Amino acid sequence: MSPPDPAIAVRASGVDMFFGTPENRVVALKQAAFEARRGELIMLVGPSGCGKTTLLSVIAGTLTPQAGSVEVFGQLLDGLGQEPLTAFRRRNLGFVFQSFNLIPTLTVAENVMVPLLIQGRSIDEARERALALLDRVGLKGREEGRPDALSGGQQQRVAIARALVHEPPLLICDEPTSALDKDTGAQIMQMIRDLSRSPERCVVVVTHDHRIFRFADRIAEMEDGRISRVFDDPKLLDIAHH
Amino acid sequence: MYRLALNMLFGDRAKLAMLLCGLAFSALLMAQQSSVFFGIMSWTYTPMVNIRAQVWVSDPMVEQVNDAKPLRDTDLLRVRSVDGVAWAAPLHTSFVQARMQDGNFKLITLVGIDADTFAGAPAVLSQGRIEDLRLPDTVIVDEWGAALMGRMGVGPDGKPRHTPLQVGDTFEINDIQARIVGICRVKRAFTGGPFVYTTYDRAKGYTLGARRTLSFMLVEPQEGMAPAELCDRIERDTGLKAWTSDTVIWNWGERSLARNTFWWFWTNTGIPFSFGTAVLLGLFVGIAISGQTFYSFVLENLKYFAAIKAMGAGMGVIARMLFAQAFTAGLIGFGLGAGMAQAIGRVMIEKGMPPFVMYPQILWSTFALVLGISFVSAVIGIIKVSRVDAASVFRG
Repeated sequence: MSPPDPAIAVRASGVDMFFGTPENRVVALKQAAFEARRGELIMLVGPSGCGKTTLLSVIAGTLTPQAGSVEVFGQLLDGLGQEPLTAFRRRNLGFVFQSFNLIPTLTVAENVMVPLLIQGRSIDEARERALALLDRVGLKGREEGRPDALSGGQQQRVAIARALVHEPPLLICDEPTSALDKDTGAQIMQMIRDLSRSPERCVVVVTHDHRIFRFADRIAEMEDGRISRVFDDPKLLDIAHH
Repeated sequence: MYRLALNMLFGDRAKLAMLLCGLAFSALLMAQQSSVFFGIMSWTYTPMVNIRAQVWVSDPMVEQVNDAKPLRDTDLLRVRSVDGVAWAAPLHTSFVQARMQDGNFKLITLVGIDADTFAGAPAVLSQGRIEDLRLPDTVIVDEWGAALMGRMGVGPDGKPRHTPLQVGDTFEINDIQARIVGICRVKRAFTGGPFVYTTYDRAKGYTLGARRTLSFMLVEPQEGMAPAELCDRIERDTGLKAWTSDTVIWNWGERSLARNTFWWFWTNTGIPFSFGTAVLLGLFVGIAISGQTFYSFVLENLKYFAAIKAMGAGMGVIARMLFAQAFTAGLIGFGLGAGMAQAIGRVMIEKGMPPFVMYPQILWSTFALVLGISFVSAVIGIIKVSRVDAASVFRG
């Protein structure tokens, strides 16, 4: 195996993933290969059921593939035990979910504090950093409110703050704009791009919202459980589709 | 994470209220029923509390204090001659019918004590003097009995009276007049009859010359002699059965007559089964309501726990969160339930019925059982969360 390339953030190769029994097997990924670099925002696009979310889960280490290897920042995830894998996610990954997944019984600030508290940081430190990030996403003054008192766009901003509060080198976004209208979705993508932009950080966004393709540095298109094409210029995907 | 776990719990007020109701009801049922049980059981050895002596001597066949088997009067002399006995006094106890002024009969516990020493006399007299028992046909009645028998009394106008019996009032025991010269304050008995004290010799008369009237002997050890040791000597020298009189349930020794009485009622009546069923019911209701509510709380928060797992929280962290939530609810539920049991107990003690004794051990046991319910609830939740795939958070 070749030594890890420091410029590569994520490398998946020959990944097979299927669900169900051998008789009723549903193939989600078939010899899928994927690469994402440090400092870029890459989008995984494709029709429903093509395997985007499964590939994202494999990259995030929440699903273990039946075949192939996944390497994140030089760390091979296959073969890692449950505990080291959990610790790896804790240190290196931030998540933005489609349905926000903000805990409704916690305040906005407490929701943002969660990743730091999972890391074992003190309440004071977690709170200080959460407030600073909420300020950056434009939610100063809403820290003590409940998430359900916020609009969808505001809730997704809280989720972005939560995903970045512990400064993870890999940000995983699963359909971050699907629950938002066009303008709010654009604002959210702009925010993800602005806040997460760093030479060391890689952002992987799964989406089928073509309106946000323009925020990507590269776009990987999936079809039938594998990456079919990679576009270095997002505009090329639009051209290809039209 | 503990703080966040608790905020999650307190943030869902409806679920929390349901959870606390289940735990509090369970704690209330377990603590209250146990306290009434021990209250009733403490009534079984009431004579040991009301008639105070360090050592009781009985027929060898006696199993409990309410079941006296008469002794010969000469046994008293044999006991007095045992080395280590400071004094020994006769005691008569029996259940006899008293005829009230309105013609009704009432079963009473007749207690005949030694007229010379008054050994075994009630400790507190609210009316009258103990020495007046030496006057002819006199008795001392307990306060509760005076109130009860007062309802069967007749006033000077010949109409029913509704006031308690007083010093000077009379009734009959086996057609012999009993004139009240004192009202005493004693603990009520399991058998339900009022305590009527008189002298040992007069008790013989009231029982119509029964051949043997010596029920027990009350014995005082000489200074420096341990009651248990004296019991050994009495049994060895006389062949009679000797008992210590400790009535503190958690401290009584093997020779305690109160202990034997307690266990006699435990094994020969359905009381423990009846109350044990109620306590078990409390436990099962607690597990059912709290377990179900906590499970539904976990189900409702399942996707958030899955998100927390995806973010890198191990099952250890999540288990600690769930335990913190369950035990906090348990602690509050126990506090509410035990508080309600105390409040109900206070009312019961004021009314005198049913008997209520809440030992600290009852509270500790209830606390442990409520924590057990919380533990079971938390484990059910942990099993559910452990089966949730962290990848499920990506499925919308």
